[in-house]
Amino acid sequence: MEERKHTSSHYEMELQEIKNGLIYIGVLTETAIQMAMKSLTERDSDLAHKVIKDDDEIDTLDTDLEERCIKILALRQPTAIDLRFITTAIKITGHLERIGDMAANIAEKAIQLNEEPKLKPYIDLPRMAELVGEMIKKSLDSFIGNDLNMAEEVRRMEQVTDDLNEQIFRELLTFMMEDSKTIHRSLMIMQVSKNLERIADHAKGIADMVTYMVTGESVRHQSCVSDEKEPA
Amino acid sequence: MDSDIIIKLNKVNFYYGQSRALTDITMNFRKNKVSALIGPSGCGKSTLLRLLNRMNDLIDGTRIEGEIFFEEKNIYAKDVDPVEIRRKVGMVFQKPNPFPKTIYNNIAYGPKLTSMNTDDLDTLVEQSLKQAVLWDEVKDILNKSAMNLSGGQQQRLCIARALAMKPDILLMDEPTSALDPISTAKIEELIEELKKNYTIIIVTHNMQQAARISDETAFFYLGNMVEYNKTEKIFTNPDVKHTEEYITGRFG
Ligand SMILES: Nc1ncnc2c1ncn2[C@@H]1O[C@H](COP(=O)(O)OP(=O)(O)OP(=O)(O)O)[C@@H](O)[C@H]1O
Ligand SMILES: [Mg+2]
Repeated sequence: MEERKHTSSHYEMELQEIKNGLIYIGVLTETAIQMAMKSLTERDSDLAHKVIKDDDEIDTLDTDLEERCIKILALRQPTAIDLRFITTAIKITGHLERIGDMAANIAEKAIQLNEEPKLKPYIDLPRMAELVGEMIKKSLDSFIGNDLNMAEEVRRMEQVTDDLNEQIFRELLTFMMEDSKTIHRSLMIMQVSKNLERIADHAKGIADMVTYMVTGESVRHQSCVSDEKEPA
Repeated sequence: MDSDIIIKLNKVNFYYGQSRALTDITMNFRKNKVSALIGPSGCGKSTLLRLLNRMNDLIDGTRIEGEIFFEEKNIYAKDVDPVEIRRKVGMVFQKPNPFPKTIYNNIAYGPKLTSMNTDDLDTLVEQSLKQAVLWDEVKDILNKSAMNLSGGQQQRLCIARALAMKPDILLMDEPTSALDPISTAKIEELIEELKKNYTIIIVTHNMQQAARISDETAFFYLGNMVEYNKTEKIFTNPDVKHTEEYITGRFG
């Protein structure tokens, strides 16, 4: 639904700047994930170091955006949709900041893995990384467009990443059992996979907040809708 | 009628001459709650408030349709004495309006005029001032003029004066709009205290005030009641878009 503008154009602008800020942080985290994965698949440790260093910028932007939200709470005393928007923005920037940390974690693992011979071609991990990148993008689009369907889609995608993560675990487990020399590398790759899976959790967290923002009702900590629809 | 409902409006229309100020208002006010009336200037908040103690009777050319029940009784029925209604439904106005008399006599004046039992006027004065959290500030100057009090003290005196009549309901029309933040906080604190024993209906232009002190909030626009809901609901997630636009500052 088309929202009417605030009578105060300054207030309107402050809210718009929060939106823009979140999109910008979102783009940075997506890029960080892509680069971390590239540093792994193309064995480029310099790139990995850059990802770790760039995470500082995400942290700074997160702090700055949160401060601006708190200032709006204090000075504008928002209500109703504006209040839900600001609380959602504070949560989203927190999620994005954690996503940035996880991209940096992946880059750290890449640096270690790049020191050793390649265990196997990376196939599922890049797929998973692409999926979580998509989830971040969609979760932020759902925020900008107040789009409940898209938020729901992010929640569905999160289940796919759970499945992928499990599949990767099982595969690596067989590697480790067959050859103990692969254990260290396998564990490292497991952690990359685990980090991607947690990024997906955060994207879902963003989608849940969007649903709260639009409807005023919390969907967090609820069992998945599709589970409940299963016939008994 | 539900036992916790003290005032019930049924399809109320109200006219100043030819022009209709309120349209088809049906709503209930709950006992021992604070209800806030909000909405832009001219939407009919004060008019509605004055209907509840028949103060609009004092304005020429006005006309009401529909019914207003106070407890079980239609207060616009032929046999009802408006003076008695005004005793039970007290009112505090935007600008503190103490009488140009002593503090003591400001409180004692009403009870003396009406046929209330005034055996122990001193006790009534003390009680009322204590209830309005003014006693400690004025107990030594009861015979000084009320006009020398600060604005915030005068407003609490007016509340004490209303309480001395032993009303059931207290109507307040923007009671803090002329007060500084500290006096405002004191009145707000007082309102929260008073609701244990009284039903309070307050008109305010201060959204945060409505949010802070009221249990229920009604939003009016152009003489219509747009939404009446729990205050928490109104300020976090109102049901009606128009309410949301108003309270979030999207208008005009
Ligand atoms: N004594 C009167 N005679 C004629 N019209 C009146 C009278 N009092 C109010 N009105 C009209 O009735 C409508 C509602 O007025 P009312 O004072 O109830 O509004 P309000 O919501 O209290 O506004 P405000 O927030 O400015 O106090 C307005 O259009 C006003 O002009
Ligand atoms: Mg008024």
